Amino acid sequence: MFQVKADVISKEEISPGVFNLTLISPEISRSARPGQFVHVLCGDQNDRFLLRRPFSIHRVVPGRAFEILFQVVGSGTDELSRVKIHDALDVIGPLGNGFKYSPEIKSALLLAGGLGVAPLLFLAEELTENHVMFYAMLGAKTKTELLRYIDFKRLAKKTFAATEDGSFGHDGTVVALLNRTVHQLRPQVIYACGPEKMLQKISETAEDFGIDCQVSVEAKMACGIGACLGCTYATKRGFRLTCKDGPVFNGRDIMWGGSDVEQLPLDGYDYETAEITDSD
Amino acid sequence: MSVNLSVTLAGIKLKNPVMPASGTFGAGREFSEFFDVGRLGAIVAKTVTLKPREGNMPPRICETTSGMLNSIGLQNEGLEYFLKHDLPYMRKFKIPIIVNIAGNTLEEYAQICRDLKGIEGVSAIELNISCPNIKAGGIAFGASSRLAEQVTAAARYNTDLPLIVKLTPNVYNISKIARAVVSAGADAVSLINTLVGMSIDINTFKPQLANYTGGLSGPAIKPVAVRMVWEVAQTVNVPIIGIGGIMTAEDAIEFFLAGATAVAIGTANFINPTAMIDIINGIERFLSERGLTDIRQLVGKVRL
Repeated sequence: MFQVKADVISKEEISPGVFNLTLISPEISRSARPGQFVHVLCGDQNDRFLLRRPFSIHRVVPGRAFEILFQVVGSGTDELSRVKIHDALDVIGPLGNGFKYSPEIKSALLLAGGLGVAPLLFLAEELTENHVMFYAMLGAKTKTELLRYIDFKRLAKKTFAATEDGSFGHDGTVVALLNRTVHQLRPQVIYACGPEKMLQKISETAEDFGIDCQVSVEAKMACGIGACLGCTYATKRGFRLTCKDGPVFNGRDIMWGGSDVEQLPLDGYDYETAEITDSD
Repeated sequence: MSVNLSVTLAGIKLKNPVMPASGTFGAGREFSEFFDVGRLGAIVAKTVTLKPREGNMPPRICETTSGMLNSIGLQNEGLEYFLKHDLPYMRKFKIPIIVNIAGNTLEEYAQICRDLKGIEGVSAIELNISCPNIKAGGIAFGASSRLAEQVTAAARYNTDLPLIVKLTPNVYNISKIARAVVSAGADAVSLINTLVGMSIDINTFKPQLANYTGGLSGPAIKPVAVRMVWEVAQTVNVPIIGIGGIMTAEDAIEFFLAGATAVAIGTANFINPTAMIDIINGIERFLSERGLTDIRQLVGKVRL
């Protein structure tokens, strides 16, 4: 992992409120793997205290630059959307464990919901380079929110789209589309990124069909390097760090709804003491 | 002109007065990829408890205005694992190691102190007394001067190592607590731990943390911390480690002026992994720019 000052060489608003930034960093672009992320300092710390924000590596220009794709959803991304070309951003990366794949894979399915295309486009490019055949399925609420459709179409054997309002591709969610088509496509492995509920349903379908399923999840993070233990994700093997053990997990291992306290088993967790402990 | 940054704290000699705050630095493994950890004045390990602790449910952190809330819940692998894996790792930095410990009963604190006896590389013990005392109905040890005194005495009785007590700010009169722990045998005090806070998501109506409440840290708490360090410095004559929202060397200087002999850096490590190195360099620059030769020329020198 590196801490670099990365120059912004391009900034594009590819859809309303969705930005693509290209940042120069030979170090990060050389060692990045699909599914890994970068931890970015947004805005000027002298004006305002902001924790770093994690972003999936969207694509790399080998040995030179990498891209991130983000939507303005809060104060960090709002600051980031205001950077100008030639500004330098303080970036730590590449971080975390990415998607696992081997050239032996016969067929894969990449499933993205909304901004979930962010880590998957990098993966699509890697799979193409390794001659792995794959399908892509992209879902969004509306046609304008459907991101990177053309890019996937260029790389995948077949690219499906689903919009919830039916304005483009299949009418409905990407999960419904998967459930209708999975028995025909029969992928060996599914790679997915998107909202948690979507990932849960995809993992369930994958398990029903005995398909390996790797999902990229997100969590609120502070340090991003595994020191603060803030970004834990509940898995069937206990708490795991999203930043260090993830952000890609096997769908089977995740305890879905883990962030919803009520749904979790109480044994093993010390509630009585936890509530009053004020720190660390 | 060379500047002397070395200080003596509870009998330990530090080459500079900057160290990480417990729980923000792990055992230093992650940060060693960014800078030479051996440049720090000391290393303060993450709180260790007798038995392993799973920690609290996620979400465990949340950003707030000028700060963050955390409710990690003292997740750690327990003392045995710590002694076998983390301590040997930290020894290689060749700087003083301060082991931060916590328990839910007096016996647990006492037991850990006994288990640390004669262990190579432990320079001092820091007591995290912000934990609830199960036998006293869950009130934090640090929230009552009687309990704080008891836990310090229990540790004091069971160790000859320098003893630092980390005070919680969630009290009415922190000087009173400081007096109690010093009279029970603390060699130094560190303050402040985090302030209990809460944040609610107005879209879902749910608390931002699964634990509902958490510890507030970051620049938001710095003025509270400076005030408390200053008050405690008036009350007790042991060295103080100043903690609370220090992001820059200038922030650290405020703590020295208020009466701290050393400072610990927490949340800043998350924003910038090399923050402590920048702060050490900044303190040195501050002193030499003003023709000062020794960090001790700042300690407690606030002009009232």
